[in-house]
Amino acid sequence: MSLVSGPGRGGMTAIPAELQLFVDKHVRYIQSLDTRKDELEYWLTEHLRLNGLYWGLTALHLLGHPDALPRQEIIGFVLSCLHGNGGFGAAPGHDAHILYTVSGVQILATLNAFDELEERVKDGRKKIGQYIADLQDPETGTFAGDEWGERDTRFLYGALNALSLMNLLHLVNVDKAVEYVQSCANFDGAYGTRPGAESHAGQVFTCVGALTIAGRLDLVDQDKLGAWLSERQLKNGGLNGRPEKKEDVCYSWWVMSSLAMLNKLHWIDGKKLTSFILQCQDPEGGGLADRPGDMVDVFHTVFGLAGLSLLKYPGLAEVDPV
Amino acid sequence: MPRFYHDDPAWSDVEPIAQDDGGPNPLAAIAYTDEYSEAMGYLRAVMANNEYSERVLSLTEHIITMNPAHYTVWLYRARALEQTDTSLADEIAWLNPTALMHLKNYQIWHHRQTIIDRLGSPDGEADFIATMLGQDSKNYHVWSYRQWLVKRFGIFDDKELAWTESMIEEDVRNNSAWNHRWFLVVGGRGGQGVSEDIVKREIEYAQTAIRKAPQNESPWNYLRGIIRHAKLPTSTVKSFILAFADLEKPDEVYSSHALDLLADIYIEENKKDKAMKVLDLLANKYDPIRAHYWNYRKGLLEETGAVG
Ligand SMILES: [Zn+2]
Repeated sequence: MSLVSGPGRGGMTAIPAELQLFVDKHVRYIQSLDTRKDELEYWLTEHLRLNGLYWGLTALHLLGHPDALPRQEIIGFVLSCLHGNGGFGAAPGHDAHILYTVSGVQILATLNAFDELEERVKDGRKKIGQYIADLQDPETGTFAGDEWGERDTRFLYGALNALSLMNLLHLVNVDKAVEYVQSCANFDGAYGTRPGAESHAGQVFTCVGALTIAGRLDLVDQDKLGAWLSERQLKNGGLNGRPEKKEDVCYSWWVMSSLAMLNKLHWIDGKKLTSFILQCQDPEGGGLADRPGDMVDVFHTVFGLAGLSLLKYPGLAEVDPV
Repeated sequence: MPRFYHDDPAWSDVEPIAQDDGGPNPLAAIAYTDEYSEAMGYLRAVMANNEYSERVLSLTEHIITMNPAHYTVWLYRARALEQTDTSLADEIAWLNPTALMHLKNYQIWHHRQTIIDRLGSPDGEADFIATMLGQDSKNYHVWSYRQWLVKRFGIFDDKELAWTESMIEEDVRNNSAWNHRWFLVVGGRGGQGVSEDIVKREIEYAQTAIRKAPQNESPWNYLRGIIRHAKLPTSTVKSFILAFADLEKPDEVYSSHALDLLADIYIEENKKDKAMKVLDLLANKYDPIRAHYWNYRKGLLEETGAVG
């Protein structure tokens, strides 16, 4: 997910109260996340720090307040997570892992900070690209998350995404990666984490995203997958991630961005989904939860907002589905 | 009860290392709670010395109990296990309650997989999985791990199939269990063909499940998958489908999925008008939330110009 255009148009006067998006509250909510360091919770989620920063930053861009977090400090923090081997950890002192490396690259791309990277770390881009490339399994084409060796299509998508943001896709065997993605396709038309693993909307996003980056959407049974994805919408308008599971705001993003990449976004009922997402807002403290009445968090906040952006909610910046 | 290291004689030789937050950076300023903070300080110190020992295992255990999502701790523990001669069976015994306490954690599963792989036997794993699924019968990590076990130890047997059936019986809407059945019967066998008898058995199995809950998506996907895999026409199950959705009785439709397949059958049979009517029923009455999808299907049909 990256941003394709600047702040949106603003002006929400014509929107009825129950369809209001509480922009200022959400901005303040995200700004407040970093001031909670006296809470244990903050430190127990340290392994998500870099991802969290990316989610918060993206949310602020979507809300039209890209400067609400201090740019220089973010770049400083991101680079403090960078290891000599070119991988990023979740926070300073954490081991490098592909998920954080992707977030690091995404943040630098969002802030247009690749020049600063090169200034502060000689050949920074190249080093990061090589770290990612070395995680590819030359035999199967998939990617490990770190030297520990766990494999997941999330890592594969992340690798291709980060490399393409740095214009370094040529460092890996894209054809092999594409082959692997196709081996994760299931009988129901959707995709799982590994060959044979159950179809899951999050995994569909990573596989369709990877194929989009590779320019190989021709391999997808698009009608069948589109049908499976649109089947994710429940009567209350929300989307689930697997058959017979509960709705959850984050799937607004995984399902919709996948449909958008297949040009089938209109296969779900956008009005119903919009109102479901808006019901997940905390109108007082800001932020969005997974479903109405639950606790908000930055993860569901950004994916809810990105979903609304795909639904062309007025005033939000436009988001790129990949 | 909190556990501290600074006055523990077993740790008196170690000077904990405070977190380096990358300089004077307000975004990363530090204020840990004492116990977690101290344990992490000792972890950084032993990691700096590459120490792999009994006490490192106990330190990592302590930290994991406080924060199982800290992947660096798991990674370091895995290395420590390799370097010390700790019993792998003991490690599994410790992992069991830890996994039960942290159902959503996925590092645990990768760790477990590495250890069982080294142990070379799946003994006892089925019982543990049953306990885990008792907490959440659709836990994605647990089902993925079960697949890995089946593949690693070649357990594509009747016992595994019977267990999967019992899971489906318990909850016919458990899509994870349906996926596991597919893996056992078709998907995990590396493209080996499925015999006619088994195709017949699977079709019947899915049909029985559909009768229990006609709007349940999982067995419908399964049925469709089997038919497609066996390269059979959809009309193979026409009479079954007509019991759930029949154009003659448009007010007595029991499943939108049946209508979906009925449309396919009419398209196969070149009965375009009937297929259109079925798709109309879906778009307007039985699945209006996806009206655009059903209208798209109608559009495709118009393009093909099949006669009705
Ligand atoms: Zn969620």
